[in-house]
Amino acid sequence: MREQVKSETFKGSNKNKGSMKIYISGLYSGTNPQPGVGIARSLRTAFPGAKLIGVEYSNRCSGIHWKDFDDIWLQRPWEEINLTTHAEEIRKVLDSGALWISSIDLEIMWFARVFPDGHPNLLTPAAAALEQIAKPAISAHEGLPVKIPTFVTTEISDWDLHAFCRQHDWKVWLKGPYYEAVRAGNWMEFEERRRILSKAWATEKLFLQTHVSGYEESIALSAYRGKLLDCVRMRKRDLTELSKTWAGDISEVEEDFLRPLREIIRKLDWTGGAELEMVRDADNQLWLLEINPRFPAWIHGSTITGRNMPAILVEGATGVRQQISPVLAEEFTRVVMEIPVRSEYPLSPLPEPLGGEIGHSLKHPSGLIQFASRLHKTDIFNEEITEENGKTFFNAPKVPASFIDDLDSFDLHEMQTPASLFLENTASGNFRSASELVKELSSDELNVTNAYSIKTNPDERLIKLALDSGFLAETISILEVKKAIQIGFKPEQLILNGPGKWWRQEILPEGKFYSIFCDSIEELEQVLEKLENGKTRTNFLGVRLRTPNVRSRFGIPIDTPEVFEKLIEAVRRIPKKYKFAVHFHMASSNVGVGHWWHLFESMLRWCNSIEALTGRLIEILDIGGGWFPEDLQKDSAENFKKAIALIPEFLPNVRRIISEPGKALAQPTMAVAMQILELRNSAETVTEAVVDGSIAELPMYFFFPHRILYQNAENGSWKSLSRGKTRLLGRLCMEHDIVASNVELPENAQVGDILVFCDAGAYDRSMSYVFGRG
Amino acid sequence: MYLDAGSNNLINLEMSSVAKAVPAFEKKRVFDKWKYWQPSQISHHGKICCEIAREWITATDFSELNGDCLYTGPRWLRQRFKWGASAFPIFWCEAVRRDTLDCGALAAISHEVFRVRNVKTYRVQVVQKFSEVAISQWTNSWNEGNEPLPWVNDDLIYHEGCAIETANRQLKVWDASAGWWLDPKPASGYGALLAIRVSGNNLPIGKILKWGKYNLQALEWREIF
Ligand SMILES: [Zn+2]
Repeated sequence: MREQVKSETFKGSNKNKGSMKIYISGLYSGTNPQPGVGIARSLRTAFPGAKLIGVEYSNRCSGIHWKDFDDIWLQRPWEEINLTTHAEEIRKVLDSGALWISSIDLEIMWFARVFPDGHPNLLTPAAAALEQIAKPAISAHEGLPVKIPTFVTTEISDWDLHAFCRQHDWKVWLKGPYYEAVRAGNWMEFEERRRILSKAWATEKLFLQTHVSGYEESIALSAYRGKLLDCVRMRKRDLTELSKTWAGDISEVEEDFLRPLREIIRKLDWTGGAELEMVRDADNQLWLLEINPRFPAWIHGSTITGRNMPAILVEGATGVRQQISPVLAEEFTRVVMEIPVRSEYPLSPLPEPLGGEIGHSLKHPSGLIQFASRLHKTDIFNEEITEENGKTFFNAPKVPASFIDDLDSFDLHEMQTPASLFLENTASGNFRSASELVKELSSDELNVTNAYSIKTNPDERLIKLALDSGFLAETISILEVKKAIQIGFKPEQLILNGPGKWWRQEILPEGKFYSIFCDSIEELEQVLEKLENGKTRTNFLGVRLRTPNVRSRFGIPIDTPEVFEKLIEAVRRIPKKYKFAVHFHMASSNVGVGHWWHLFESMLRWCNSIEALTGRLIEILDIGGGWFPEDLQKDSAENFKKAIALIPEFLPNVRRIISEPGKALAQPTMAVAMQILELRNSAETVTEAVVDGSIAELPMYFFFPHRILYQNAENGSWKSLSRGKTRLLGRLCMEHDIVASNVELPENAQVGDILVFCDAGAYDRSMSYVFGRG
Repeated sequence: MYLDAGSNNLINLEMSSVAKAVPAFEKKRVFDKWKYWQPSQISHHGKICCEIAREWITATDFSELNGDCLYTGPRWLRQRFKWGASAFPIFWCEAVRRDTLDCGALAAISHEVFRVRNVKTYRVQVVQKFSEVAISQWTNSWNEGNEPLPWVNDDLIYHEGCAIETANRQLKVWDASAGWWLDPKPASGYGALLAIRVSGNNLPIGKILKWGKYNLQALEWREIF
C-alpha cells in the first residue's frame, strides 16, 4: 500500500524542498543501532536538496560522521543536559519551520510531555498514543491478528515470580521498562539480573514475559495525524548476536493485517514512524512483542526496495513531493564500513580502565539509561501492572491457614533459635490429601499408589506418616532401607533406585523388595546376577530411562542407537519371572511444569517402543520427582487424570502407577524460625537486618524464594512479608550467607523479633549442615 | 544436494530481470535431466535391526521436539548427521549409525518423522541453481575419481526435501539438509530454487497443493519463476 499524498504548500518556512530543514535525532550506530543514519540516507534519496541536521547527545555516537548530514547539532549527554533549555531550543527550531524526526524512544516520550498538544513540525506521536503502546500490555493491539505473550510485573512477590517461571519452563525474558531484555534460566540468574536491571533503570517495575519460539518479523509504518501513509513487512533473514536485524526481506502487508492497523493508527491519531516487532510461531500465529514509536534501525532497507517510509512521512507532513526511490532489490543486508571522522568532532580519548577491571567499561555513550532514570523520577508513564491474564497477584505471598495454626502451637520466644519447626497439621493434611487423590485416580484396571522418597526428608515423623497413609517408600541406599524398616515398612513396600543403591549392602535385609530400578545397563546385568544367585529378591525389576534432550546424570541414556539397541537386548534377556517396570523422575521445579509433562509423554513414547521391540510388557510405571507443592496441587487432579488417561494409549499393560511427588509433600511441612539480631538503617529505611539463622539451615535459598512470616511481638499475630528493600543477612561470616533479599520488614520490627521461613521441609532440612557453631 | 548457502562466489545482479523476461516455454526445462527420478528411500531389512533404528529415530524426534508445535522442522537430524554422500540402498540400521547422510536420506528420515507425528507429509524434489565453484567442490568431495555427479547439470543441482501440509492447508517445504524452510518465492542466482515436484503415496494425481502463491500439482514438476 502507499497512500497518495495531496500536494500542498508546506506550512513552515520551508517553501520548497531546496530549503527544507529536517532534524534527525538518534545517531548511535553500533551493533544495536538507532535509525537516525538510515533515516538520513532515505531522506537524502528522496529530497536531495533538503538540509539534514543530525542531533546527538554524545560525540561517541559514530552516526554524527555520516556524510548525508549537512550539519550536526551536538548536545551534552542526557545525564547532564538542562532539559528546560533544551526544550526551549527545540521549540524555536520547530517554530522556525524545521521538521524533527526522533529515533530515540525516551526522547519521544519526553517530547510528548514537552509538547502536550504536539507541534505541526514534530513528527512523533503524542502522549495518549504512547500510553496505548506501552509494554507489555500494548492495549493498542486490539483488532490485529496477533497475540501478546503472557507477562507479569516483577513487583509481585518472589514466591509468585518463581511460580511464573516454573509454569513457563523458565523460558522467560526479564525486560526493562523501555527496552533491554535478558534471559533468566534459574532463580539465581533471575535474582542477579533483576538486581542489575533494577539498578540501571532505577525502578522495581520490570516485567517477566514468556519466550515465543519462531521467526521474527516486523511491520514498519509511516503515519501522519492518524492517516497510515505506507507500511511494509520485514522478515529478519540474518541476526546479530543480540538478535537484531542484519539482513531482511521486504514484502507487502496483507489486507487482514492492514485493515485493523489502519483503524488503530486512526484511533491513536498517530504521527511519525513506528515498528511492530513480532514473532511468527510454527503454527503461523503472530505474537506481538512491542510497538516502537519510531522507525526501525533497518528502515533504509525498506527504501532499497522502493518503499521510502521517512520520505513519505515528510511528504505527508509538508506536501512536498519526494523523488521516488528506485527499487534496487527485494532484500537488504548490512556491511561494516569505515568512514572519515568529521574534523569538527574529533574522537575523544578512551576512558581509563577501572582499577582491577578488564576493558574500558563503556556505557551507552549518550547516557540514555540515566535519562530514563530522570524521567522516572518525574513519574512519566508510571502505569500499574498487577495482572496476568486476568489473575491478580499480591505483593505479599499467600500463606496457607494451616501454617498459622501450626505455628501458633509453638512458643517461639522460649525456643533456642534458629529452630526447625515441624508443622504437624500441615504435614498430616498433605499426606491425607495425597492419599485421597490416588484413591480418586485409581480404577479396577489401574491402581495408583503414592511413594515417599526418604532422601527428601528422612525425618521419622514424615516416614511414619507415609507408612500410615499407605505409601510405598523410595530408597537410594541400604541405610535408607534399614531406616524405613526400623520405622515399620516391610521390604515388599520398598523401592530401590538411584546410582548407589547397593551402598552398605553388607546390611542388606532379608525379604523381597517391591521393585528395583537399575540406573545403567551394567547395573541391570549385575542385579540379574544377584537375583539369580539369590543374594536379593524383588517383585518387579525395572530400569530408569534418560530420554534424549534431558540434562540429567541419572538413568540409561538412550540418546544413541547403540545404547538403545543394547537396552533392548538386555531387557529381552530378563527372565519372565520378573515383572518389568520403568522409572521416570525429573525435578519439575527445575525443568518447568510444561516441560515435565512433555518429558513424561516422551517417556511413554519410549516405553511404547521398548514394549514393541522387546515383547516385554511394562506393568509398573514409577513417575515423579521434584514437584513444587503449588504445581502439584494446582490443577493436580486434572493434570494427573489427563496423564493417567494417556498411559493406556501408549502402555495398555500398565497395572500400577507409582506417584512419587518428591518435595511437594515434605516442603511445606517444616519451617525455620529465626530471630532478628540487628537492624541496620540508612536514610530512614532498614536496608539490612542480621538474623541468627543462615544458609546452613536454608541451603535451598539459592534455588527458590521462601515465604517469610513475621510475628508481631506484642499480639503474636503473623504477617507475610512483602517485597521491599531489606536484605536479611545470615549469622555466618560467609559472603554468600544472605537468607533473603528484597523483603519489607514491618515498620515496628525490633531486635529479638521472630521471622519464620516457611517451605523449608524438603531439601532445606535434609541437606542442612552444621556450620559456625564451634 | 547442497549443504548450505555459501558466499564465495559472484552473483550477477542482473540475472533476476533477465530470467523474468524470458518466457518459460522457450527454455529447456531445468528439471529435464531428473524428470523421472523418484525420491530416495530408506530400506528396511524386515528385521528387528531396522525396527530398533526406526523407533529410535522417531522416539528421539519426539524428545527433541521439546513439546513445541508438531510443525517444527526436525533440525536436530542435521545436528546429528553431517551432510555428505550416502550409498543407496541404505537401510535404517545403517543410516542411524552413519556420520554423514545425503539430502535424499535426510529427507526420507524427516518425512518419516513427520508421518509419525501425524502431520500430513509429502516428498519433495527440487532443482536449484548454484555456481561452478560449488559444483566443482562437490564433484571433488563426493567421489575420488572426479566423475561427473548424476545430480549435477552445469550449475544446476537436483535436491530433495519433504513437505508438510499445515492446518490452513498451506504447504511448507522442509530442506532437511539445510535445516530450514524453503521460501515460496522466485529467485535467481546462488541457491535459487528453480523447480519443484511434490509426491507421496497418499497423494492423488492432480491434487493441487498451495505453496505460497503457487498452486503445485501433485507428482508434476513445476518451474518456479
Ligand atoms: Zn536392518
